[in-house]
Amino acid sequence: MKICVCIKEVPDSDVPSNKLKIDHDNLRVLPSEKVPSIVNGFDLNAVELALRFSENFDNSTVSIISVGHNLTSDVIKKPIAMGADEIITCDEEKVKNIDINATANIISKLIEKTGPYDVIFSGRHASDFDMATVPFALSEILSIPIVNIVRNIKFEDDNLILERVITDGYQIIEAKLPLIITAGNQVGDPRYPTLKGIMGASKKEIKNFTLEDLDISEDELYSKINLEEIYFPINENKVEIINGKDNREKASILISKLREEGII
Amino acid sequence: MKILCVTFNDSEVFDDSCLEIFSFIENFNKEAQITSLNFGGDKNQISKLPSHENFYVDSNLESVNPTQILDTLDNFLDNNDFDYILFQKDDLSNYVAPSISFRKNYPYLPDIKAVRVEENGNLKFIRPIHGEAAEGVYSISKSKSLVLKIRKSSFEKKALIEKSRDVKELLLSEPNSKSFKIVETNKSKPEGIQLDEADIVVSGGRGLGGKEGFDGIRELAGILNGAVGASRAAVESEWIEPGNLVGLTGKWISPTLYMTFGISGASQHLAGCSNSKNIVSVNTDPDASIFNHSRFGVVADCNEFIKEIIEELKNSN
Repeated sequence: MKICVCIKEVPDSDVPSNKLKIDHDNLRVLPSEKVPSIVNGFDLNAVELALRFSENFDNSTVSIISVGHNLTSDVIKKPIAMGADEIITCDEEKVKNIDINATANIISKLIEKTGPYDVIFSGRHASDFDMATVPFALSEILSIPIVNIVRNIKFEDDNLILERVITDGYQIIEAKLPLIITAGNQVGDPRYPTLKGIMGASKKEIKNFTLEDLDISEDELYSKINLEEIYFPINENKVEIINGKDNREKASILISKLREEGII
Repeated sequence: MKILCVTFNDSEVFDDSCLEIFSFIENFNKEAQITSLNFGGDKNQISKLPSHENFYVDSNLESVNPTQILDTLDNFLDNNDFDYILFQKDDLSNYVAPSISFRKNYPYLPDIKAVRVEENGNLKFIRPIHGEAAEGVYSISKSKSLVLKIRKSSFEKKALIEKSRDVKELLLSEPNSKSFKIVETNKSKPEGIQLDEADIVVSGGRGLGGKEGFDGIRELAGILNGAVGASRAAVESEWIEPGNLVGLTGKWISPTLYMTFGISGASQHLAGCSNSKNIVSVNTDPDASIFNHSRFGVVADCNEFIKEIIEELKNSN
């Protein structure tokens, strides 16, 4: 089984909003203190799902695919340390600040160049721009069906049996290969890298492809959507902290205030 | 200007939140020729949508394959041109909107919360990024058509019109043999009043410390005739069903009163509750970011405090 997982390196979003700053030159939000970047959380869920799936087969490979400028080797190699086999990138200056259309275009070329893959995994969306679009774009570009937000996969009689998460429940889905699958936190926590995995990852060479290798001209990288400005919304909210000698008094004050204002 | 609104509704009920799309349109064009393409839903209500032309596709949204909807829309767009194709955030839009934009090669922008009309008439679209921590302003390169997905609860609901218009029927595309098959759909709505319909929501998070903490949350929600919500931390700890999740990957709510107990206010959570009219938060940490978004805050142990509130409400009723 030949499997790939598309991952994105993103700023760590798990910092309180008052500890973020805006990088106006590159139009992105960054932690104000030097916090290392991470692999997008949902992409690690996808790596976990892919690794679990690959364990059902004696002969399977899991390739990691990533696009970006100046990717951090230690960060994007985390899936290798978790158990994936190889890492394939398109990392060059020209892919800096490209939009989802160009990103999807490059990833599909990387997939065509290094595939074909039986299953292509990805996180349900990236925590930096929350577009939730690239996997659907890949489905249209590569003409491979997509099932989104999958939490479990079985392989029976050459068919994939998937559990797809929907609002208030889940669906059982039967699909054929090849297939694109997105994953979210419902997969469960991604496994920790083992010491052996970390050692192996540090030695693993990143297979980088340039736009030229992929036969992509600069014209093809034009943006259809243009991010022009980023700002923090002004929070004019003033919280009224309820004080009192004990919880009973605070509760009583709170309830009377809510009643006075007609909220309850 | 010609605009298409795509809506998804279960057969018996009509979710009037799709009426938000129509006031979104009024923000930048009051004279647009609006067509609605409705998958499922009550035909009587659809006939009263504030649009000029209505289409209805009989479809059971519980079991429909999203690729059937995609193919139906694809065929419809082959015969009809629109400047804008609008969706509103829900399970099916999340699938169909990005897919149709790439199939037709139209630009796509999701989760629009505001629109700005520049002096030269150009439009700028505003959407939250980085969870909900920041906002991005986007322009879109010239194209025959644009696909936009509107963020829920960001625009007022426009009223239905009194006199009904014709509703034309369209057939749902047959399932594509190359696509996947939905074998079974299992839905279990959360107990009690539904989160997205409730006027009061009481939510618990990590600070409750355990599953038992939700006993107090349920009791308080019961007294206030409200619904029970939860943060991702509480759902992932399996203290409560995933159907109760409020946040970016859960329910988006806009109640009159949202009470949180032991929720710190991660941006993922705020995404789902920031449209609440009044947030009241209880947390042991006076610096918890949820207080920055709350009308009233109480610094206290949430399990102890919830008992006092229940007591107070019982005694003063």
